[in-house]
Amino acid sequence: MSDYAKPLPPDDPPNRPFWQGAKRGELMLQRCRDCGTHRFPATRLCAQCRGDNSEWVASSGAGVVESFCTFHRAYWPAFKAEVPYDVIQVRLDEGVRMFSNVVGMAQGQVRIGMRVWATFEPATPEVTLVKFVPAT
Amino acid sequence: MNQALAGTVAIAGVGTTRYGRLPEYDAYDLGAWALKEALDDCGLGFDDIDGLIINRIPDYQRFGEITGLNPRYTTITPGQGRFSGICIQTAVAVIAAGMAETVALVYGNNGRSAGDHYGGASDAYGSGGAGMWFPYGMTSPGAFHALMMRRHMERYGTTTDQLGAIACAFRHHASLNPDAVMRTPFTLAEYRAARFICEPLRLLDYCLINDGGVAMILTSSDRARDLRQPPAYIRGFAQAAQLAGSTFPPDDYWHGTMQRVAADVYAMAGAGPADMDALMIYDNFTPTVLFSLEGFGYCPVGESGPFVADGRLALGGALPTNTSGGHLSESYMQGWALNVEAVRQVRGACGARQVSDAGLVQYMTAAPVITSIIYGRDAR
Repeated sequence: MSDYAKPLPPDDPPNRPFWQGAKRGELMLQRCRDCGTHRFPATRLCAQCRGDNSEWVASSGAGVVESFCTFHRAYWPAFKAEVPYDVIQVRLDEGVRMFSNVVGMAQGQVRIGMRVWATFEPATPEVTLVKFVPAT
Repeated sequence: MNQALAGTVAIAGVGTTRYGRLPEYDAYDLGAWALKEALDDCGLGFDDIDGLIINRIPDYQRFGEITGLNPRYTTITPGQGRFSGICIQTAVAVIAAGMAETVALVYGNNGRSAGDHYGGASDAYGSGGAGMWFPYGMTSPGAFHALMMRRHMERYGTTTDQLGAIACAFRHHASLNPDAVMRTPFTLAEYRAARFICEPLRLLDYCLINDGGVAMILTSSDRARDLRQPPAYIRGFAQAAQLAGSTFPPDDYWHGTMQRVAADVYAMAGAGPADMDALMIYDNFTPTVLFSLEGFGYCPVGESGPFVADGRLALGGALPTNTSGGHLSESYMQGWALNVEAVRQVRGACGARQVSDAGLVQYMTAAPVITSIIYGRDAR
């Protein structure tokens, strides 16, 4: 049993390759075998070509911060001790977008356009979260 | 859009409940209360209704059972604000197709008393995949709009004081509206002192959460002219969605899609931004007002901040907007009360907040489904 109190991602079978990858230290994305477009979270169809052939591939983990916002309100009690905290909107080089957090720099220092790399932060023995560190 | 439909359907009646905290009423009660008000407004009765469009109230069958309705056309839509415009457009199409003659649109919202938060574990904003991002503390439509606003600030130099100008103007309008929930005016300095919820957005950039209900009665313009109130004619309406990739904020603040809707709605109405006497802009958060003004051609892309900063949106300004106080200060009726305000403006029934000689009023929503409706005092 873990005493981790923050919300955990839904244990959704189609997304398990992503979470298994995160535990290994790899950012896994679904890729369309018909047109090559990457996507996440998992879906049966590719929204680009509507093909239903896909595979999981490792991402470079590199991306850019498209935007960020700073939570001053805690929507879960477990975040109360952390406010204010930043949430970033990242676009990976493969084109997939994610919401996440920056680690390795002080709150309030993140900037739009900043290059970031994926980093892997165990939350519980079962779940490792994908966060980002500044690339430079 | 079929231009021949312009001006052929009208709002004959509107009804609103009290707004605020109404714990003794559920969403059905609020909808039924508003519907009675709307029928009284136009002088029709329950037996005249042959079309029923329900929004946010959980079950259409239960609502029809409670109110004793047997319509020819019935539908129900999810409790998302973008659906108010969609429902009104659907009602016009239903009437034009002859599927019903008199359509009642009924909305009930007991969100305040039910404890709705729009963030945290119950967050269902967007396409339902929000839970994937909860572990990072990402939640709420407010945060989604904060992310968009931060990008607009970075790209164009837009400031939070410009958001404050919007919030102050709408609160001033609410101070003139006896039905508004929040009526105490505030200054820009007071706006700046409000606490951040999700920075760059402060408490005063957020819509209210309150209980209330709204109903509208739509019928053919010919029929509406025989009823109790002057008709508010639907001169134009248009819609387009941007659903692909919509878990994340759109790069362009929905600008491309709004431009398509703008072209359609202005062509149908035979009128453009320069012809509008007032605007009703879906203000879930102050930034959507900026995005809407750019998308619907009121100012160039990136210039909405300076555009709103000088009081242009206030009564007495060049472009009075959300004269009721909008979602920020009157009532969070998810677009419905803004459409009612448009009707009351073209009727000339707004009292202290009346825009002089209001002939055309445009409603617009910036969201993954974009809608706009142009109301006219005259049929053409």
